[in-house]
Amino acid sequence: MARYAMALDYKNCIDCKACEVACKEENGILLGADKQRIWVGHGEIKGEYPFLDITSNTFMPSQCQQCETAPCESVCPTHATYYDENGVVRVDSEKCILCSYCMVACPYDARYVDDRTHIVDKCNFCSDTRLVRGETTTACQATCPTKVRIFGDLDDPESEISQVLRVREYFTLKPHLGTNPKLFYLT
Amino acid sequence: MSIKEFIATIPYNRISLRDLFAFEKSPVNILIALMTLSFLVMFALGVAIYLEHGHHAYGVSRQHPWGLLIAVYIFFVVSSTGLCIVGSLGDVFGFKDYMAVSKRAIFGSIVTIISGFAVIAFEIGHPVTMVIYNVLSPGLTSAIWWMGTLYGIYLTFMVVEFVFLLRNDMRMARYVGFFGLMFGLLAHSNLGGVFGFLNARPIANGVFYPTYFILTAFITGIFITFIILGFRYKLNFTEEIKKLLTGLAKIQALLISILIFFVSWKMLTDIYDGLPGRADVALHILGSWTFWIEVVLVMIVPMVVILRNMGENLKAIFWISLSGMIGIFFMRYNLVHDAQLKPLQMLKIKEYQLAPEWIHYFPSAAEIMISLGGLGLCILLYFIGSKLFNLDADAHH
Repeated sequence: MARYAMALDYKNCIDCKACEVACKEENGILLGADKQRIWVGHGEIKGEYPFLDITSNTFMPSQCQQCETAPCESVCPTHATYYDENGVVRVDSEKCILCSYCMVACPYDARYVDDRTHIVDKCNFCSDTRLVRGETTTACQATCPTKVRIFGDLDDPESEISQVLRVREYFTLKPHLGTNPKLFYLT
Repeated sequence: MSIKEFIATIPYNRISLRDLFAFEKSPVNILIALMTLSFLVMFALGVAIYLEHGHHAYGVSRQHPWGLLIAVYIFFVVSSTGLCIVGSLGDVFGFKDYMAVSKRAIFGSIVTIISGFAVIAFEIGHPVTMVIYNVLSPGLTSAIWWMGTLYGIYLTFMVVEFVFLLRNDMRMARYVGFFGLMFGLLAHSNLGGVFGFLNARPIANGVFYPTYFILTAFITGIFITFIILGFRYKLNFTEEIKKLLTGLAKIQALLISILIFFVSWKMLTDIYDGLPGRADVALHILGSWTFWIEVVLVMIVPMVVILRNMGENLKAIFWISLSGMIGIFFMRYNLVHDAQLKPLQMLKIKEYQLAPEWIHYFPSAAEIMISLGGLGLCILLYFIGSKLFNLDADAHH
């Protein structure tokens, strides 16, 4: 029993996309940007040359926010989307009817149709690949060359993520929606 | 009386395949027959393409997962609820003027919802899994679960009510019809809730859709009543039907004026003070031609035509009911598309990609064929029903 979460030191991201590749490799995700569980977004550079605003070009790694009050879970008509014992929002492929309501309801565009299993899939913190083998890291975290990602148990006060969140300021995405995301962006 | 004996008492006409082709061979009838036939062929083709390619046969995407088939499903179930409301005016609420259309409207509500189910079966990826896990693992916080379950119960009540109407058992028809209407309204407002519960989509979120769906269902029901009675009487209405339709036309004028009020205030509150994700989407909607089709065909034209003679010009209202249903289709299409217009992820995720602005969607050929097939199925079932059962009111009404 744990309460897994991730902190992202997103200003260290160099947009190498190694995390996207590692995720696809580890979890057997099909190729293509429409099929990705995680991605790195970046904004257009604002302003006109030579007065360019380079801060607008931030790289923003993102994925399922592992909400504690997940809209995709509450709208699912068959409980195919559920919270596992570690607080990870996961999908039971047996129960998914592919109604796509979770795709419409997720505020983070984190869900997509997996053409291998024909269900609406999402990031599950490598639960059925790495965590089930007893590892304590996710593929995206392990591969990141600039150590953007810190994955761990919020219920363990000694975990790296708990320690970081005690001393660093952070924000979450779309907090006004009340979804209580467990992805924390460090500032 | 056993169920078998009860079923044996249901009056129906024995018909053969030949009877189905024994309609008057007027140009209009032949045109409708050919259209229906071609729609059914398209349905088979569309389904075949879907079975071959799955959702890749549709124009839907990760950012726009709901497309034309969801809109057409809503179109049919709104029609069903509307016909149920119109049918209930007579046999549930006891308005004698509207008794004459009860049986026909209730039968219409059954065929429209069956057509809706036929369409949605090819949008839901795993319909058999849905039937199993809707029961074994019910998601009680899901508006889709409630909507589907309540529509299932509603359909059962509608069928039983129709049987009692056929047997001329008005007392039982009233009881069953009351519950049918109640479940229909609950199911339909839950369908509005499917959109209303979307916190992520400010343009849809809130109380508007669950209430608006009931209002527009009633409007749709009256449009369809004009159409089916127009065809039944070839626009030469009896005095009883004239009285019925004039009454419905006046109700329609009232409902449309409420609709104009609803939509105007929805737009004003959406745009006021420029709330991001809502005001920009509302302005985008105002700039789309599909929205104005909805406004012209469902609101302005019917309002003007009905008010010109206070609902007496029934032939004109028949024609604007036909165009009104086209407007109602766009209303459903707009509802589904507009809810998904705004990207939820506003950053670029691919090289050489333009920053996301609005989500584009256009239905694929397979989606269009299955949708038209739903209409073909609806017309066919209604035609068979009109041969198989006596849908006119009995003489003593």
